Amino acid sequence: MIEEYIPFVGEEVIREIQILAKRLKGIKVLHVNSTKKGGGVAEILNRLVPLMNDVGIETQWEIIKGDHRFFTFTKKLHNLLHMPGKEKIESEEVVYYLKVTYENVNTINTEGYDIVFIHDPQPMGLIVKKEKGQKWIWRCHVDTSTPDPTAWRFIESFLNAYDACIFHMPEFIYENIKIPTYIMRPSIDPLHPKNMELSDEEVEGVLERFGIDPEKPIILQVSRFDRLKDPFGVLSAYKIVKRKYDCQLILAGGFAPDDPEGEQVFKELLNITAGDKDVFILNLPPDSHFEINALQRGATVIVQKSLKEGFGLVVSEGMWKAKPVVGSNVGGIKRQIVHGVTGYLVNSIEGTAVRIRQLLGNKDLRETMGYHAKERVRHRFLIIRHLREYLLLIYKILNSHSK
Amino acid sequence: MGEKFIFKSELWISCYTGYKATNLRSFIDILKKIDSSSIFYHIYINLFNYHNLPVYYPNSIAYWLYKNNYILLAEKISALDPTEFYDIEELRAKLVEILEKNYDEKIKRELIPFYFVKAEREIIECGYEASSLEEFIEGIKQSSINSVFYHLVTSKIEKRTLVNDYSTWLINIGESKKAEAINKLDIYTDTLYGIKQKIIKILEGEDD
Repeated sequence: MIEEYIPFVGEEVIREIQILAKRLKGIKVLHVNSTKKGGGVAEILNRLVPLMNDVGIETQWEIIKGDHRFFTFTKKLHNLLHMPGKEKIESEEVVYYLKVTYENVNTINTEGYDIVFIHDPQPMGLIVKKEKGQKWIWRCHVDTSTPDPTAWRFIESFLNAYDACIFHMPEFIYENIKIPTYIMRPSIDPLHPKNMELSDEEVEGVLERFGIDPEKPIILQVSRFDRLKDPFGVLSAYKIVKRKYDCQLILAGGFAPDDPEGEQVFKELLNITAGDKDVFILNLPPDSHFEINALQRGATVIVQKSLKEGFGLVVSEGMWKAKPVVGSNVGGIKRQIVHGVTGYLVNSIEGTAVRIRQLLGNKDLRETMGYHAKERVRHRFLIIRHLREYLLLIYKILNSHSK
Repeated sequence: MGEKFIFKSELWISCYTGYKATNLRSFIDILKKIDSSSIFYHIYINLFNYHNLPVYYPNSIAYWLYKNNYILLAEKISALDPTEFYDIEELRAKLVEILEKNYDEKIKRELIPFYFVKAEREIIECGYEASSLEEFIEGIKQSSINSVFYHLVTSKIEKRTLVNDYSTWLINIGESKKAEAINKLDIYTDTLYGIKQKIIKILEGEDD
């Protein structure tokens, strides 16, 4: 399995991972999160867990089970960790969280593992089951830099029992964490249907299926229909660009059935673009990986104009297709795009339009930036680097002398 | 024939130090006391991380200064060639000296924060070695850029010498011209893939 990645990273990189894995022979690793389907964490674990097993490390993956009440609370906790809000944590919610956690303690077997990775806040309370000699690591995928104090206190009551924690980037770390805090960027999988190579015919086939002209320049943003992704800002930038360039705009994404706000944004976009045959508002099912892949490969310029963003791995997915990405100077976008080298970081609608024009008007620039964009992802944002860092972290933690 | 050359490689993970600077004064104060593995991270690891991209500023300190509109300081810090140092303390002193000499204490403004990160390194043996020039060339061909980076750049800090591992071994087997040519390679202005090819070319070439 791991050999399948040799064409992307080279044999020597894979060999070094195998050397590292040999040092960990005989250990057992457990990952716990809240879902096996949907979301970035599950997507990474779906590949990472088999890869860890493939290099000889016995690795299991469990999910925490809970009802609607439990996950409503953890969703609220997630939002409050992200930023203070009007909502408050009620004591009966904490009691219920602990009740569900203890139910899971009885069903999730954490015994006999050397290393336990707990992903995000939902399963965090399982730490009560930590055994002597085990190392527990909290992998946080949330920006906790400015949390609601009560939400953070709740997290902290568990966190200090962990041996280490991991965040995507230093900007996401709450300042007063007392345990070792590692930084590990998320990653994309080049073998995932979203990222695998496609033929020109496949790409054109998808474009034509949606009535998009493959011969006319395409500006693309892939994101769920959410005001924080600023699709209206992208549309305004497109209108500025359109004065000089005969181009098309694709806003491709989706919204969950229980997301009335997403549906509202989608409908508004459809209404205000109804008269422009060069704008395509595509509401795609969540498993439209092949279509998204084809749209990214067919795009001339990719845009990610979020007003607020977590890590925003969709930027790396675009860059992996050797496309320059024009992205907002926020969240993880600024850690992926190297301004002026792999794309541009922008702060306004006008700035977005200027950079898109610059790229539409200059094929050489697009190709050079696209090349560097792909190389940056190859070195920094592929799952192989992620795997190597996990193995090294395990090695370091098992050989540290703390706790 | 002297000692065998054992090919090694270097891997690392990033760890947050808990120190963050939001103005230049606090940056300098932290720089003076921060763990040397943090200076290693921001200067050397960044050289590795951006070796293949035509970035304007090759280390994160210079880039941070540029982003905060300290253009002169950014230029001066980026001109500091880390491969000319074998002692991180000396490098730290030089960084502090440049910063203190060239910035205006009177200018006080809030900056985009600088997060001090450190590298937790691990050196691994690649599983092959060389006893002859031919085996050495074969070993280099098999090496990852992490391995090239270790032997050419960071091993100098570990061993506190200005001569890289490859050149030291080549001198021992009587190939001093090749050793000198490799030690003169400008790592600061090429990609590690380019450097690797140049090393192979030097090793396979005839001495004049």
